[in-house]
Amino acid sequence: MTHAMSDAARVRRRTFSAAAAIVAALVAILPSRASAQQLELTISPIIVAFPTSDPDATPVLNAPPLTVRYRVRANGNRPWTLTVLASGTLTSGLSTIPVANETWIAAPSPPFRAGTMSTTQAQTVAAGTGNVNPMQTGTVTFRLTNSWTYDAGTYLQVLTFTLSAP
Amino acid sequence: MRVALLTFAIVCAYITALTVAVRAQRGTTVLLVNLPATARVSFSATSVTFPDADPTATPFVPSVPVGVTISARARVPRNSQITLTLQSTDDLRSGVTVLPASLITWTASGAGFAGGTLSRTTPQLVGRWTGSGVRTGTQNFRFENRWTHPTGIYSATLVYTLSSP
Repeated sequence: MTHAMSDAARVRRRTFSAAAAIVAALVAILPSRASAQQLELTISPIIVAFPTSDPDATPVLNAPPLTVRYRVRANGNRPWTLTVLASGTLTSGLSTIPVANETWIAAPSPPFRAGTMSTTQAQTVAAGTGNVNPMQTGTVTFRLTNSWTYDAGTYLQVLTFTLSAP
Repeated sequence: MRVALLTFAIVCAYITALTVAVRAQRGTTVLLVNLPATARVSFSATSVTFPDADPTATPFVPSVPVGVTISARARVPRNSQITLTLQSTDDLRSGVTVLPASLITWTASGAGFAGGTLSRTTPQLVGRWTGSGVRTGTQNFRFENRWTHPTGIYSATLVYTLSSP
């Protein structure tokens, strides 16, 4: 009887040890796998400034092009998307500019596409399938409808680009 | 058995976490728009005339064209006041003969536009608004016609000023 209980204890210990070994192995490799990026995204410059112009002379302001560098690896035949989401409207103190007045054009097309900014739903800037390797470059030019109705001021807005593959 | 289930759960969580961690990359940029204060005023006509008329039959002579449409465009800081004023550089002159600028008056239509009397000494209010925008209105000038006015061809230059403090 004592001998049988000892065997059961040994089995439990062995099982626990195996599980612990698996967990330890997973924990050990987790950082290296997570840091081995399969998606790479670089946006530059960090700040994009629209030029100043009279609304009558320039009804639409064009910002200097934003450069998007991206790479998708180990994606098989799955789709990938690049989206942009505004954290809020262009804001200067209490003054704002409607987000619907912001659009962009992008190249090359495909995979890039034109769109209209949103503060609530990420908008697709580019989309494709499979891998993109080596690193590719696209340009995004933001456009702002120029209007006399805007308050004078210095407006800021943070945009977040997300490159993802489901 | 419990250990096996625990291990399985950890593996599943690991796979899920790994997938989320690796399958999205983010980048940010800041859009900056600097909109300085600016203003512009434009007119449908840059000169008006008052044709000759019998002072008894026409004590107030309307201008030709009858109305001058004004477009006042201004981009100013939030809730700032905008004013449009008019001042004559001088009285009405015909050689050495002078008629007071105040003989010319106007009525106005359009939100924020006001009627008034021309002055060579003090800017007269034509319109007042709050905040940025495009405002359009019409000024209808008329000249007070009198038998006592010496004959002649009189002229004056009017200066409009669109401003915000």
